[in-house]
Amino acid sequence: MFEKLIDNSMEKSPWIFHINAGSCNGCDIELVSVLTPRYDAERLGFKLTGTPRQADIVVVSGPITVQTRDRLVRTLAQVPEPRVVVSLGSCPRSGNVFKGSYAIDGPLEKYTHVDVSVGGCTPKPEAIMAALVQAAQILAEKRKEMRK
Amino acid sequence: MLPYLTKAVSNLFHKPSTEQFPTGDPPKAAEGYRGRLSYDPEKCVNCGMCIRVCAPQCMERTIEKLENGDQKITFTFDMTSCTFCSMCADFCARHAITLTDDYMIVGTKPEDFLVTGSFVKKAPPPKPKLTPEQIAEMKAKAEAAKKAKAEAAAKAAAAADNG
Repeated sequence: MFEKLIDNSMEKSPWIFHINAGSCNGCDIELVSVLTPRYDAERLGFKLTGTPRQADIVVVSGPITVQTRDRLVRTLAQVPEPRVVVSLGSCPRSGNVFKGSYAIDGPLEKYTHVDVSVGGCTPKPEAIMAALVQAAQILAEKRKEMRK
Repeated sequence: MLPYLTKAVSNLFHKPSTEQFPTGDPPKAAEGYRGRLSYDPEKCVNCGMCIRVCAPQCMERTIEKLENGDQKITFTFDMTSCTFCSMCADFCARHAITLTDDYMIVGTKPEDFLVTGSFVKKAPPPKPKLTPEQIAEMKAKAEAAKKAKAEAAAKAAAAADNG
């Protein structure tokens, strides 16, 4: 009876969890600026959460350093299904200028599926916003698939 | 107190400062913004300078030999590997690479992030084939020229001795 109501509500409030996997902080700042009043992702229901257990969308930034690799895998395992992984910036997909370094163990596809990617170094907040909206749509589809 | 009150009341009639992006059009990027790369294969001369200066090595060049001896050269730029430093555009002698102000580099597939372009490099025209008689004739001509030169030199030397 309440299933539909819950589904509709969940669709309108996808919560974001942000993992910094060795990022230079550029993408992190841009992600935070998406939540500020100027861009205001919260009007679309996006909310930054502090724990992976409450997250629907995981945003990963950084080129996956050796130090963060195990922590990234552990954190991603804590996110309940259905989850959508968004890679932020050039780093998680390729390593960017750190490509070939001994301290890098990327790309992100090695550890998890990546649903939406944003290119740019760093991406503009509008691009991040577009990616989050797309991620929310994918999340709704995934949830419908799980219900079947 | 009054200034704050007037500001508060006037703000009631203003538009919100939030950008209405996901519903409306995305705003234009600032002047000189370095966004998605654009590549014009018509201008490219395949000098490879962009590959040399690219720090994250985001470019790939494939050279494919065609049947008639021409080469099909394809450049692939990966936008998820690019740092948007604009070094390739600065070093491109023919201005084939430019960075546009398109910042919406969002996608779900790797193909969404690739910028590709290819052109055909024509092979040089084949050298004219010579018959053995022509070659012999040319050789004889060269020899005669050599002889004449040597004779002239000897004459000059003799004249110098006499003088």
